[in-house]
Amino acid sequence: MECRKENKDGVIVLVVDGAIDHETAAAFEQAVMPSLDEAEAAGTGLVFDMSGVDYMSSVGLRVLMLAAKAAKQKSISVVVAGLQATLAEIFQISRFDKIFTIYDTADAAVAGVRG
Amino acid sequence: MQVKFWGTRGSLPVAMKADKVRGKIVQALQAARGKNLDDDQAIADFVDNELDFSVAGTYGGASSCVEIDFGNDEFVLCDMGSGLREFGFDSLRRINEGGKKGAYSFFMSHPHWDHIMGFPFFAPAFMPTNNLKIVGGHDIEFALRRQQDNPSFPVPLDWMGAPREFQVMKDGEVLDTGAFTVKIRKQPHHGDSYGYRFEKGGKTVVYTTDAEHKLDDLDDFDAHIEFMRGADLVIFDTMYSMADAISVKEDWGHSSNIVAVDMCHQAGVKHLAMFHHEPVFDDAMILQNHTETIRYEELVRPGDDVLRISCAYDGLVIDV
Ligand SMILES: [Zn+2]
Ligand SMILES: [Zn+2]
Repeated sequence: MECRKENKDGVIVLVVDGAIDHETAAAFEQAVMPSLDEAEAAGTGLVFDMSGVDYMSSVGLRVLMLAAKAAKQKSISVVVAGLQATLAEIFQISRFDKIFTIYDTADAAVAGVRG
Repeated sequence: MQVKFWGTRGSLPVAMKADKVRGKIVQALQAARGKNLDDDQAIADFVDNELDFSVAGTYGGASSCVEIDFGNDEFVLCDMGSGLREFGFDSLRRINEGGKKGAYSFFMSHPHWDHIMGFPFFAPAFMPTNNLKIVGGHDIEFALRRQQDNPSFPVPLDWMGAPREFQVMKDGEVLDTGAFTVKIRKQPHHGDSYGYRFEKGGKTVVYTTDAEHKLDDLDDFDAHIEFMRGADLVIFDTMYSMADAISVKEDWGHSSNIVAVDMCHQAGVKHLAMFHHEPVFDDAMILQNHTETIRYEELVRPGDDVLRISCAYDGLVIDV
């Protein structure tokens, strides 16, 4: 798994690549939490660009849930973009599609977060 | 070993209402349109092979009670939910038919109401010729006594004539009954719950319900995976969706289908039985959960070994 941070029009975009599983979940979590702080400082939100993620098990879902909870406390929005078909199914089965706003692309997500 | 489910519902028994029965009949008749169903065999085949289980059958609504038949003359049960009432009558029939005697062992997950409510209605407990052994990590005798004390029930526990023996096991303890061995494990739940790993002749069945396995509690996660390691069948609490289990229903004491599949994969389990169904769910929703869980297993399967997934229903029998 690789994680790259971008700032698009003040919105923090976390571009994630590879598999989020038991081996990589801790690294994913470590990348997410500082990004939330940055998004809070920018007063905008955080976009997970998941277009490069081909595998995610429950440990990855947990990190997303932690991010959603932290974002609620910080009064910022966290959204998800670019889910591959497999991941979209996992979101639906775990009912994460009811917790997160999901955009087709990162650009659409950035526009959505900026309102 | 043979596992028979007498009660599979979580928290509270439920019963189907008239509108749901009507809905099933309407769906069945719609599906029958244009089919040649002139003879009774054709009708039976159509019902058995062409209708969804949620239309042709039901998951049932009795609360937790599972029988494990080790092929000897004694009865072994996990929990005493409302499904125990029907088991009790069936066991008397089987004793009459020969092959079984009135010896009953119970392995109790915990004394929450949905897991003990069948006991006052367990007919064999009223017969002095039967013997009961009740094993758990809690003081189950206290819970059974209180359940039947005034003003909650007209018949106190001591009125029930079958001799009772209670045994409290400690976390991690192994009991060798001669017919099988059983290991107990303390699980995260309000007031704790206990899972049981039964082994006989190289076959393993794990009964693990009412447990909230949190993804950030790695000690519990890893220990529970070891507890389930290589099991032929795991009966697992899949009451909530993953999103609910870690948000609005966090700390309510139950796990999800997603966590069940991930843990079974890591433990190399062969067969998962989804259990302790949410009472709010109707048959169509439970079937959808089952279908989605099979799909999730396919999506995240780490190797070539397929984890078989059943959705327990009242009356289901699984040979191990
Ligand atoms: Zn329960
Ligand atoms: Zn409970």
